[in-house]
Amino acid sequence: MSNDTATAEAEGTAEAATPVPEPIPHGLGESLPPADARAKTEGTFPYAADLWAEGLLWAAVLRSPHPHARIVSIDTTHAREMPGVRAVITHEDVPGTPLHGRGGRADRPVFASDVVRHHGEPLAAVAADHPDTARMAAAAVIVEYEVLDPVTDPEHAFEAEPLHPDGNLIRHIPLRHGDPDAAGEIVVEGLYRIGRQDPAPIGAEAGLAVPRPDGGVELYLASTDPHGDRDTAAACYGLPPEQVKIVVTGVPGATADREDQGFQLPLGLLALKTGCPVKLTATREESFLGHTHRHPTLLRYRHHADAEGRIVKVEAQILLDAGAYADTSSDALAAAVAFACGPYVVPNAFIEGWAVRTNNPPSGHVRGEGAMQVCAAYEAQMDKVAKKLGLDPAEVRLRNVLATGDVLPTGQTVTCPAPVAELLQAVRDFPLPALPKDTPEDEWLLPGGPEGAGEPGAVRRGVGYGIGMVHMLGAEGADEVSTATVKVQDGVATVLCAAVETGQGFTTLARQIVQDTLGVDEVQVAPVDTDQPPAGPGCRGRHTWVSGGAVERAAKMVRTQLLQPLAHQFGMSTELLQIADGKITSYDGVLSTTVGEALDGKELWATAQCRPHPTEPLDEAGQGDAFVGMAFCAIRAVVDVDIEIGSVRVVELAVAQDVGRVLNPAQLTARIEAGVTQGVGIALTENLRTPRGLIRHPDLTGYALPTALDAPDIRIVKLVEERDVVAPFGAKAVSAAPVVASPAAVASAVRAATGRPVNRLPIRPQAAVATGN
Amino acid sequence: MQGKETPLNVTEEWQLVRIARSSDRRRSRLKTDHLTDETGECLLADPCVRALRRCARVATSALSGRTVRPHGRDQVGQREGAVGLTTHAPQAAQAVTLPTTLDEAVAALTAMPAAVPVAGGTDLMAAVNSGQLRPAALVGLGRISEIRGWQYQDGHALLGAGLTHARMGRPDFAALIPALAAAARAAGPPQIRNAGTLGGNIASAAPTGDALPVLAALEATLIIAGPDGARREVPVSHLLAGMEMLRAGELIGYVRVPLLHAPQVFLKATGRTGPGRATASVALVLDPARRGVRCAVGAIAPMPLRPLEAEQWVASLIDWDNGRAVVPEALHGFGEYVAAACIPDAAPDEDGSVPQLPPAVLHLRRTVAALARRALGRALS
Repeated sequence: MSNDTATAEAEGTAEAATPVPEPIPHGLGESLPPADARAKTEGTFPYAADLWAEGLLWAAVLRSPHPHARIVSIDTTHAREMPGVRAVITHEDVPGTPLHGRGGRADRPVFASDVVRHHGEPLAAVAADHPDTARMAAAAVIVEYEVLDPVTDPEHAFEAEPLHPDGNLIRHIPLRHGDPDAAGEIVVEGLYRIGRQDPAPIGAEAGLAVPRPDGGVELYLASTDPHGDRDTAAACYGLPPEQVKIVVTGVPGATADREDQGFQLPLGLLALKTGCPVKLTATREESFLGHTHRHPTLLRYRHHADAEGRIVKVEAQILLDAGAYADTSSDALAAAVAFACGPYVVPNAFIEGWAVRTNNPPSGHVRGEGAMQVCAAYEAQMDKVAKKLGLDPAEVRLRNVLATGDVLPTGQTVTCPAPVAELLQAVRDFPLPALPKDTPEDEWLLPGGPEGAGEPGAVRRGVGYGIGMVHMLGAEGADEVSTATVKVQDGVATVLCAAVETGQGFTTLARQIVQDTLGVDEVQVAPVDTDQPPAGPGCRGRHTWVSGGAVERAAKMVRTQLLQPLAHQFGMSTELLQIADGKITSYDGVLSTTVGEALDGKELWATAQCRPHPTEPLDEAGQGDAFVGMAFCAIRAVVDVDIEIGSVRVVELAVAQDVGRVLNPAQLTARIEAGVTQGVGIALTENLRTPRGLIRHPDLTGYALPTALDAPDIRIVKLVEERDVVAPFGAKAVSAAPVVASPAAVASAVRAATGRPVNRLPIRPQAAVATGN
Repeated sequence: MQGKETPLNVTEEWQLVRIARSSDRRRSRLKTDHLTDETGECLLADPCVRALRRCARVATSALSGRTVRPHGRDQVGQREGAVGLTTHAPQAAQAVTLPTTLDEAVAALTAMPAAVPVAGGTDLMAAVNSGQLRPAALVGLGRISEIRGWQYQDGHALLGAGLTHARMGRPDFAALIPALAAAARAAGPPQIRNAGTLGGNIASAAPTGDALPVLAALEATLIIAGPDGARREVPVSHLLAGMEMLRAGELIGYVRVPLLHAPQVFLKATGRTGPGRATASVALVLDPARRGVRCAVGAIAPMPLRPLEAEQWVASLIDWDNGRAVVPEALHGFGEYVAAACIPDAAPDEDGSVPQLPPAVLHLRRTVAALARRALGRALS
């Protein structure tokens, strides 16, 4: 009774206190909400698909229906004659360089001219006054093909006729580390296959191109690498880069290089040709056909271990299907080979990696590329070692884990914090979720869903582990630099930085950094365009590191400019002055003034760059200090499997991650949850099927993304905050590591539940059936 | 600019393009993808199933055929704009009729053969949004209150074709026809269930339509409204198999379902925990008056399959007078029987050897067996 009264009183006081507004969180380490969150949830945030311009034309791209064919002729006469059609362009209308490509490999034509190499390759583009007219005109372009046999099996790419003048082998890394004759007491082998994941960005691609009076063009795109895309576009249009401007519209979310240059480049060409603004909004089908996917991978592993379960030697062959064009396959292969042994100490490693060209849709950057595929394989191998020795899977992993100071198979010493053992122990010791036997039967969520066919008697529970590692920033000598400008005027700070907010939370982080450094609460982050100095692509946790670092330096320079006159006036150094809540106080609290007064109507600007320490390419033996930093993640998966039907439900994923420093707890949690869910998709449902090189089911009905019911309970058990001294704020990128580790953890748990080997991701139902094998 | 002299030819070409694309779509919609392995080979070798598929293809072509109408020529005259060449098709030109009775709807369809009937629109709007279909006119069925509920008739329930899945999923309906309620609850995310209707599920005749195996197991009859107040009755299986088809101007008005007052089960296997298309589904109803078990397997063929022999066999094993008791082995045997009937072994080669079915098909068979066994077990428990 007294308790009730106390509660009632507490509620009463809470009600009385409501008029006092909650303090808005600010500064680093606080859960500052994104400034555009409200607009995004209310649907008022303008994305590229919402843009409009006077006299707008609509574009459509004709894509190849064949994965491999010789083009005999392209006849655009009919399409040009259709009323409403304003321009039809093909490879003959590309004024600049006809080839482009990410990752420094320009091997991809803007429009196919003699050969089409994958299903969905652009052949022509149309601008018309209505989207339907444009699509019909594109369909009316008559292309005569001589259909060729597609090479769709990456294993056949080695002997096949070259599909491209550059050959079929995009990269080969033969990593050799240690003694080739070393042998362990036990040997386990496995052959693993990883499917093709589509990044499936929320909001399909869209863009608007507006011609400029000076003969240039402005492109409004949801680009994640505006300067890179600008340079590609300028080269294609035969214009100097200054005459092409990319304005980044709101990015609806990106887990990959989300934009498809196959329509970006034609948009500008059509705008230049017609002199009118041209817009394209891709359908989901075009989106699946256009952008790059995760590399489907074939992995063959042999682990040697001693009787205690310590790994003696790892031999592996890794074959990445790069699809028709190189894109960033070289980077993905470097990550796959370098992390082929995982976060374990492996004294002897012999890894052969190849990325080969096929007639499948091109593969490119999707977060955790390379590292995710090998993680699924090496964790399966660790399970096999544990099974063979009769040890606990977590114990075998603990006996081998990497720590700071250990050497990777690439010869690189791990200098950053590597608390792998701590992470694994945290997830292992976390209490397991309760079995639903004490709750009413209607509340059970069995595999197959609430109205599914699940039968409690056929459901088995399994627990498995996955530990992943991923590198941050570009590798192998990539110049990872970012520039930011901070301006303060009238108590309002503005950040200008060409780092694109892709959902990773950069704009929020930039506000937090400036709030912390300058004590100014109101911070605006300017929209991004290519008139600003480059900040590089938004991937691999770059912007938290380099752009965040650049913002911090610029803010500190502004701070010095702001405090210098005061310090001079008071006769003390700037270090003795503090800024907090818009007030400047001296260390002893004697002197106090506001930021506004200190500014005295002045406008302070500073621009700074952040460039991490250089890296070197892997040499011909796969050796070299190729990575700036690494992040680690351990996940324990608990799954329920209906062992008769093979349906799997992930009950819980316990995550422990090495984050360096928590800069924004709410965003960090969201990023981990998003990454884990993407990993559950790879593990269970997401596979873009391409029989004979043709993309089947390019829609979100056929390509099954995890829904709210598929997403498991995600428990963030531990965030290890061991600061990385070389990283700004000591923080590590968090998005990619859970993507890498969670598919391996889910597969490991299904293995434990069913006793089946589970060598293929996504896990097919027939591989999760415990009977009749 | 060049097109100015030949607008009519161009329009005709558009029609060709549209017709070609819409037939592509029909092909693609009818692909039984779930029955093909990665090489695209058809996994169902049984000639009877193939024949069924052919029939169903005819049936659905006939159903959707009338919805595919290219633009009329009159739109050529509506083009205008700065250079006189715009092809913007003013939306206002499209006629939308909102009849309030079934006969008015039929009359509207008869008066305007180019019109497309639309109820929930969950399939139709997907086709419109993807550019596969531009209906010249629409007849909205949402205001016909007579088909949005149900009534009782001689031990049967007369279900309106406009009943939404959401309505069918509610407890009062579940007390009447539990299997149909379970199918309705499994029919997709809430947005789809709120809009999609029973009649639409039948008219779309998608292989994965969740209501279809239930209606097949219940041996439901469709009451089809035709011009001038005509009503004719067609068994649902006849329509799905293409033995009888909807004629021009006809609409599915009601579905007559027997009220069996006995347990019914609908089970569905999907690729994920959240809403998804069925990879296989089983509907099973008991008919204690006739001492029968009726079962239909959905999603593995273009239309629901009825394993008649397995039904009769297991019905003879059930002790109907003694709490419908059955030996556990019979449940297992029923599952295997149903699965073997629906997914038969491949035809023997010339040398008499039976080729092994691909693993994906064997798994599908195992899934059907488990679903049928569980369904019967739950119905009899």
